[in-house]
Amino acid sequence: MRTGPAHGHVGYFHETAFYGSDEEFVSFAGPFVRDGLEAGEPTVVSCADANEKLVREAVGDVSGVTFLPAADQYSRPTNAIKRFRDEFTSLARTGAPQIRVIGDVPHPGTGAPWDWWARYEAAVNHAFDEFQLWGLCPYDTRTTPAEVLADVERTHPVIASADGAHVRNARFERPEEFFVRRGRARPDVLESRSPSLLLVDPTPAAVRRAVRDAAAATSVAEAEVDDLVFAASEAVTNGLTHGRGPVRFRLWSDDQHLVLTVTDQGDGPADPLVGLVPTTKTATAGLGLWLTYHTCSYVTLDRHDEGFTVRVVGGTPRLVD
Amino acid sequence: MRRAGVVDSARGLGPHDHVCWSYDDPAEFVARSVEFLAEGLELGQRVCYVGAGSVEGLIGDLAGLPGGGEALRDGSLQVMSLDERYRTTEAVVPAQQVRAYAEATEAALADGFGGLRVAADVTALVRSAAQLDAFCAYEPLVNRYTATRPYSALCGYDRRELGADVIAELACLHPVASAGASPFWLYAESDDSMVLGGELDFRGRELLPAALGRTRPRPGGDLVVDVADLTFTDHHGLFTLSDFARRDGGSLTLRGLRSGPARLLGLLGIADVRVEARR
Repeated sequence: MRTGPAHGHVGYFHETAFYGSDEEFVSFAGPFVRDGLEAGEPTVVSCADANEKLVREAVGDVSGVTFLPAADQYSRPTNAIKRFRDEFTSLARTGAPQIRVIGDVPHPGTGAPWDWWARYEAAVNHAFDEFQLWGLCPYDTRTTPAEVLADVERTHPVIASADGAHVRNARFERPEEFFVRRGRARPDVLESRSPSLLLVDPTPAAVRRAVRDAAAATSVAEAEVDDLVFAASEAVTNGLTHGRGPVRFRLWSDDQHLVLTVTDQGDGPADPLVGLVPTTKTATAGLGLWLTYHTCSYVTLDRHDEGFTVRVVGGTPRLVD
Repeated sequence: MRRAGVVDSARGLGPHDHVCWSYDDPAEFVARSVEFLAEGLELGQRVCYVGAGSVEGLIGDLAGLPGGGEALRDGSLQVMSLDERYRTTEAVVPAQQVRAYAEATEAALADGFGGLRVAADVTALVRSAAQLDAFCAYEPLVNRYTATRPYSALCGYDRRELGADVIAELACLHPVASAGASPFWLYAESDDSMVLGGELDFRGRELLPAALGRTRPRPGGDLVVDVADLTFTDHHGLFTLSDFARRDGGSLTLRGLRSGPARLLGLLGIADVRVEARR
């Protein structure tokens, strides 16, 4: 039997909580972990250092807790989904009726671009639903930008309130709706000028050459350039084989980073999880995008009036404010 | 040491090189043949020019070959019709044809030449599906022979007649090819190793499984593929290679794989492939 608010729920119970002080954080994080341990439910803490410290202090004996440092766990959305799924799969083998996880999702307030984490927050509603899982995503209102808080409200079906209640969230949107209704991802500052290269219906080989040439003039490391070349090649191949032409490849760069976009006139992949979870169907675009999400420093997928755009950044993205 | 990769002329090739030249203009193949054979004569090899049509016409093609007339008289240049050289106008019998070239090479050596060099327009031998299949079995076999014996060949294929797909199917089985003929090259020099170079993207997705099967027609256990000159591969290429090794029931070692695709192997969970630094 699942303990707590997910009692009687089947699948992923995805909850957020907003807090404005350490005390407030401890007021729900402490009981979340303590009650889990008492009930014998596998309990995972993947918080930023300061919050992990608060949890340790509040709980005392944390010997039964699985700590997964947030800096590793949340390096990239696709990695996070893969690592969590692997972890949940192994914990579920214990036969426990519920697994608990509390984790600090990165955002601009903690130094990370938000768009792909917004997709993550929506996508995990599906990607974790096979587990009897209670997930709690706390957001610090002192550091979290308003646009992030708005997306968090739209991606979590339940909100924990300060008085200990768990409220069904009327603003929640199914991932499919969220992806369609959410505005375009934030562009990189380089995109405010015209691209240094525009290719229409290029061969993937021509795109690979173009990326290598442009990257050679930047400080982006060679291993990362390999990943970027793969990403560009895959995005163009997907556009040419699954999208609607013409396919436009654009590239911008300065001496420290590279931005490339691939736009076709189609609607993009229908699957809201595309790129975030691996697919076994290699004929679809999913696996190439999943690898791209895994290896590149920033990836966005946008459906818009002119079609569908994949954006990939090499080096550190500098998103417009 | 043989050449591998893409060339833009038939100059500078050695006694073990095997080249696919696809052309749109027959005059272009004649010009490449003249380059190829002229250097063969300079290297002290017996050279042989083979094509469709009459021997007189073929001799006419070689008007620009320096010392061609004398070479023809003293036996250092041979000119043959396809029919005579391949003993068929239908499908080649791969092992037989390799043996025929081996005999011709040994005869050239016995006559005091450094080896045999052949330029042959073989378009007429790959027109039907059955002919093409036979020739695709022959090319890997001849690669094995040229690896150790001084037999070099320039194979001409008419793109207007055969189309780019058939050209790619043939070209990828040659260590060396003219530009744009195939995105990759694959050849074996022994039972347990292969060389794979170029680029593997969606253009090669169907070509590669067939090329692997032709290069190693019978399952043979452990396999080492030298991929040091493979400048790009997508995940399909990696899956195809590991699936092929599994068919053979042996291990797969990718020698000299770049760090990017090596990381992809890990992410994809392709655990049965070993990555080795280039020797």
